[in-house]
Parts: sequence; structure tokens; C-alpha cells
Amino acid sequence: MRMAASTAMLCGVVAACDEEFPVGITGTPLPAGPITVEVEIPWSDFASNLEVFGGYGSPEDLGVGFVANQFAGTLDARTLIRYPGYPQAVTVRDTTGAQRPDSSITGIGGRLVAFFDTLASTNTGPVTLGLGRVQQEWDPTTATWTAAIDTINDTRAWTEPGAGPVLVVDTAVWDPASGDSVVFMLDSADVAAWADTLDLSRGGRIESFDPGPRLQISQTRLRLDVRPASNPDTIAELTVSPRSTTFIYAPFPDPPPDGVRIGGAPSWRTILDVAIPAQITGPPEFCAEVGCPFEIEPGQVSFAALKLTSRTTDAAFQPTDTVRLDVRPVFDRASMPKSPLGGSLVGAALGRAVAPDAFGSSPGVVIEIPFTSFARDLLRGEDENGNEPPGTLALLSVFEPLSIAFASFEGPGSALEPVLRLVLTIGPDMELP
Amino acid sequence: MMSRLVRFNVGALAVGLAVCGLAREATAQSVFNAAGLGVPSEALDGRSRALGSMGIGLPGGAFMPTDPAALGRLAVATGVFANQPSWVDYSAEGGPSGSFQGNRFPLMGLAYPVFDGMMSLQVGSFLDQNYTDSRTGSVDLSTETVATNDEFVQDGSVSNLNLGYAQTLGTDVSVGLTVGRYAGTIVRTLTRTFGEEIAADVNSYVERGRWAYSGYHLTTGVSATLTDRYHVAASVQIPSDLDAEAQDDTDGGDRTFSLPVQYRAGVSATYGPVLFAASAVLADWSDTQSDLTGSVQAGSANGFGLGVEFSRARLWGRDAPLRFGYRRSTLPFSFDTNDVTERIYSGGVGLALNRTNDITLAAVDFAVERGRRWAGGIAENFWRATLSFQAAGF
Repeated sequence: MRMAASTAMLCGVVAACDEEFPVGITGTPLPAGPITVEVEIPWSDFASNLEVFGGYGSPEDLGVGFVANQFAGTLDARTLIRYPGYPQAVTVRDTTGAQRPDSSITGIGGRLVAFFDTLASTNTGPVTLGLGRVQQEWDPTTATWTAAIDTINDTRAWTEPGAGPVLVVDTAVWDPASGDSVVFMLDSADVAAWADTLDLSRGGRIESFDPGPRLQISQTRLRLDVRPASNPDTIAELTVSPRSTTFIYAPFPDPPPDGVRIGGAPSWRTILDVAIPAQITGPPEFCAEVGCPFEIEPGQVSFAALKLTSRTTDAAFQPTDTVRLDVRPVFDRASMPKSPLGGSLVGAALGRAVAPDAFGSSPGVVIEIPFTSFARDLLRGEDENGNEPPGTLALLSVFEPLSIAFASFEGPGSALEPVLRLVLTIGPDMELP
Repeated sequence: MMSRLVRFNVGALAVGLAVCGLAREATAQSVFNAAGLGVPSEALDGRSRALGSMGIGLPGGAFMPTDPAALGRLAVATGVFANQPSWVDYSAEGGPSGSFQGNRFPLMGLAYPVFDGMMSLQVGSFLDQNYTDSRTGSVDLSTETVATNDEFVQDGSVSNLNLGYAQTLGTDVSVGLTVGRYAGTIVRTLTRTFGEEIAADVNSYVERGRWAYSGYHLTTGVSATLTDRYHVAASVQIPSDLDAEAQDDTDGGDRTFSLPVQYRAGVSATYGPVLFAASAVLADWSDTQSDLTGSVQAGSANGFGLGVEFSRARLWGRDAPLRFGYRRSTLPFSFDTNDVTERIYSGGVGLALNRTNDITLAAVDFAVERGRRWAGGIAENFWRATLSFQAAGF
């Protein structure tokens, strides 16, 4: 009996533990609804001090190569590759038929296979390419068209701009109609030259002999032909992946004097100071709805975004793939270009995606880069941690670098200058019924 | 002295309450909570619920703020606790239908002999105000039309903390006085969210207000036993205004609501093992109308209840009176000019867990109610259980 009574009591209490609010039905009084209105604020009322900085990251970080010869009439680009040490053994079948590793091998030649990104490459027909051996010490991270090494206290120029001169290894023709790769033949001297890992000049240079297109090399592989001592009648093939792949190009673009630039390799960032106006006095249609002057409260900002209008990028650097834009707070403007940045404000893992045509054949596309939480913090004067929010934003590529190409937008002073789009939700004070 | 049985059941109840404690704050149980100041919530025990009582007029000691004089009939120090889960199905003509459930603790209290009478400290519910609602819409922006959803949540209630004293005059008459303070808070939150038509990083709009309730009431009552057969009781509750003071950074203003004087009366008659009970309540809330906004209507909240108890029933060798009841009343607030009517059929059983010399040291009272509330095209049917536990002598 005790158990039954206790169980009944327990069940009675627990049975309705799952609390649910009564649901309003037809006729239920609701507080007056807020209104949601939109306003665009011109550049001069919310932003200032736009500045473009370059040099973020290295082309080596991309892990791909570009080759071009007077692409768009201006751009020359070459790909530099360095391979690590070769494998020291190969597994072969000996005279008894057993498989065993043989570390006594001799390189007799090989091939360098280059694979192309057919979508990112601009050619439609065959292109003649050349492979050469670099002749002077170079640094994959800092090499540019003019500098073989550009590190602290060690700056060395190429003997000939463009990583030259080189010892010609081979030429080959890549025809996208026949595949996505091209093969350069190597002789034993070439293979031997790249085997010494202490030689800082080792490396290959791929260039284009045909003017016009810009090709993107997605990866390369070294296929080595080796002869094992244990079975000299057999030729084995070893595959080597590159340790570094980078590209050099010229001319290097100057910062735009009047616009916004984002992306490229090394990457460009655009910095601007932002101050959300606490009071809005126009336009008339906005004032007609909410009354002016209107004091903005942080909680009323439902959406804030920088509206940028795309413009045509220099032909040599026009994107051929989707550009992904990001916006981050700059913690210390005075320390630019080295100021640390805050987290992404866009709210999308891959940033704001923009089709490449917006910077080529179809300029004038309006792109919104949202930063609602940041705008609220600016109005409030503190972020969620109670810290004063920085008043500077950086527009940049989600990944730096992502491509040799970069995005361009109209800047201040243009008829299509950036504007701030605010979507405000304004409701009456909450009152009791 | 508490028997093992009592201790065991108290333990089970504690376990249940601890489990419930992990859930949200106890919430209310009617769609009509959304009207005006909400739905009155009476602090009644299981016996009164089973008998359809308005909380007055039953013989014996009781522990309800609606019957202050009944406190004087308690013989020893006593504690009471009531738990009330409910399950509600609602519907509206041409509108939505659905269900929800909730759990409340309408009555908790302690009484202890002081001087020649009995003093009590009670916490009881008064008005339930919880509800949620939403509406959808759209906003035309320059680049897109964006769907909106306004979610409104009202989370609050008014309770009262009562200090009572009652004393018997002679053997047949008892008088009682209770002074109570209204307390509680209400939080009203409207949240507008936007559809996915607009780009990422859209923040919701939130408008919130929080108010704290305060006020006082004085309740006095008298009960008398006429011969051994009849028992009559009456009480009147005189409240102050109910003040709602805006808290924190609430932009909304303070408010004051008029509360009505409530009159209660009850009578019971015993014929052998059968008890008949009747009770009624009168309360005119119409003065509150001027304090409200919108189309909500305030009116009278009158009602009556009838019940019968068969006391010879036994369960597991112990007294276990069977009870049945019926009550009908109106609610003070409605969405429009249609009054809200409540009708309840009830039944229940009591179980005296421990009795000594005609003094019940521990008892459990259980009631089940099947009710309906309706107004215009809106109706809700509900099941409601009330389990109250009363222990004495500790």
C-alpha cells in the first residue's frame, strides 16, 4: 500500500512537469506590432579614411601556380616549383621473384606533370609552355618577379626579372581539348640537379611562350624513372609531390587611388573608419514613417550592411571564380597594416559570395556586406564583453590569399560610392494590458 | 509524531517536486490567461476541489485563505501543500486548436498555535497570466520582401503571501482574519524575427517590459456549527488596488488596477455518513474595466458549487471519504463582450494516513476535475488533478 500511495503521489506530481504556456488563439490581445523600416546613409555620414593595404599572405600559400604571357596585354606570370628530397628506396622483384626494398637506385630520367584548372584558365586552344631549371638561390615564400629572396636583412634580385635566366629543360603544349595536364620530359641531369636538398637554387620554372591566356596550374607531380641495382633490367617509377609551389608576376598592381580592393595574392585589404550616426534626419520617406530627427537605439538595428557597387577589375586580375568577401573589426588602426583583426562579422562561414562577372563583364552589381552586431555595438558603445568596440573595419577575402585575382568596388566620391544600409525595427514601449 | 508511511509519502512528494524543479517555473492553465489580468487561481486543497467548493463552508479545520475562520478549527500545528497539474485542449471557431499542459502549486502553508488560537503563514496563487502568441507578416524592403514573425510571451502571475489568525469562540463559532500581500512579477516580451529572404546577420528585435506587483488585502470570516448537522461560513476579502511597478529599464509605465471585494459563503449539512455542501462567491470586477486597454472586458466573477461526501468509505483499512462535486462560475475577464463561463465536474478521495484521538495527523486529498471554459467561439476542455498533503503534530 505504501508503495502504491507513494507511486501515485510521485506520478501525480511528475506527470505534468512538462510546462507549456497557454497558446493565444483568435481574439487574443497582442501588443502593438513594431514597424520595420529601411534607410540608406551616405558615405560621408558614416565612414571615412578609406585606405587600401596590400601584401597579406604569400602566393605560396595558395599552393597553385599561374602562367601568363602578356595576359590582357600586361600580365606576365610564371610558376616556380621546388621538390623535396627523392625517395631513397624502391620495392622491386629480385631475381628470386620476391618483393624487397632496394635502396641502391639510380635516376635515369623522369617527367614533370602539370595539371591545370580548366575553369580558372582562360585559354580555349593549345598553349606552348616551357620548363626550365632555376639557376640562383630563391625563397618560395618571398620570391617576386624582381626578387629571388626578400626576407629581413637578405634581399636578392633575380639576375633577370622573372626568375631568370633558366636552363631550358623541355617545352610542351597543353591543349585543353585533349586533357587537363601537360608533361615535361626530364633527363638524368635534370633529375640529379633537383636531388640535392641543400641546394637553395633547385627548382623549376614554368612559363608560357604564347601571349594571351592566363593558366592556373592546380598541382604538379614529379615522376622519376629509377633503375634498382638488385634488378637492373627493371625501371621503376617514383612519384614526388612538390614541397613548394608559388608564382611570380608583373606588373604588380598599385593600390587604387579611388576605390575598394579586396583579394589577390598577396592579398589586398580595404580599411575604413565607421561611425553609425545616432540620429537620422532623412530621407523624407523615412521621416514620414518614424518622425525626424530619429534617435537610433542599438536594439532597433535589425540589419546593417555596407553596400558596395562592383566595378571592373584590371583585366589582368579579373576573377574567374567566385569571390568570397569578409568584414572584420580592426583593433588598432594606427598599427596598420599589422593591426590584429577581430572575428568575422558577416555571419556566414564562407563569407559573402560574389560571382566573378561582377568584376568583369557585368560591373555595377550591388553587394551587401552585413555587420549588424558590430553596428549595434558601435551604437551601444560597448560590445557583449563590455569593451569599447573598434571603430574601424577591414574588408578582405575570407581566405588570404585565394587567387591572383581581386575584387574592385567603387570608392568614396564616386556616384556609386559605398552606403550604409540600415533596417530598423521600431516598436512602441511595452505596456501592461 | 510521524509514521513511516507519512515519511515515505513525503519523500515521494519531495522527489516529484525536485524533478519538477528542473522544469520551468510553474505555469498556468487556460487560454483565457491572455484576457485582462488573467484567470483567478484559487488556493484550494484537494478536498474543496473534489467537492466543487468555492473554498468555504466545509466542516473541520482547513487551511485556505478563502475561509479564514476554518483555520481556527485546526487542533495542532499543521502544514499543507497542494500540487495541481492540468491538461487542456482548446479550440476556436475558424481558428486554431491544440493542447497544452502545466503544473501549479496553488497552496502552501504552515499553521501553529499562538495564544488561544491558530496563526498561519500561507502562500497562495491569485491570478495566472502566462500565455504566448504569435503573428506573421511581411515587410517590403527595397531589395526584397521579408517574412516576419512576432512572438509574444507573457510570463507572470500574481500570488499572495498571507498571515492569518483564527480563534474559536466557545465550541461552535470560529472567527478568522487574514492579512495578505500581493506579490509576483510579469514579464512581457515581443520578439520579431525575420525570414531568410534577407542576408545573414539579421538580429531579432526584442521589446520587453517587466513589472512587479504589490498590494494588500484583508480577509475576515466567521464560521459556525449549528447543532451537529449544519455548518455555515462566510468571508469577505477587501483588497487594495493592485500596483504594477515597472522594473529595471522597462520603458512602459507603472499601472494600478482596481480589485473587487470578494464575498464568499458556504453551508454544509451532515446526514449520517453523507455530507452535502454548497458555496458561492460574488466578485464584481467591472471597476477594473477602466484600468484596462484594448477590447478586453471586465465583469462579474460569480459562481457556486455543490458537493457530496460519503465518509464511510475505506481504503486499505483507513478512512477514505469519496467526494463528488459540481461548480459553475464566470471568469472576470473576456476577450470581448462574451462572458467566460467555467463548468466543472469533480470527484476525489481523501485518505487519512494517521489519526489520533479524532485528530488527523496526516492526510492526503486527491481530486480530479473535468471542466470546460467557453466564451463566444472559444472553448477549452481540461482535466485537472489536485493533490494536497496535510501533516500535523510536528
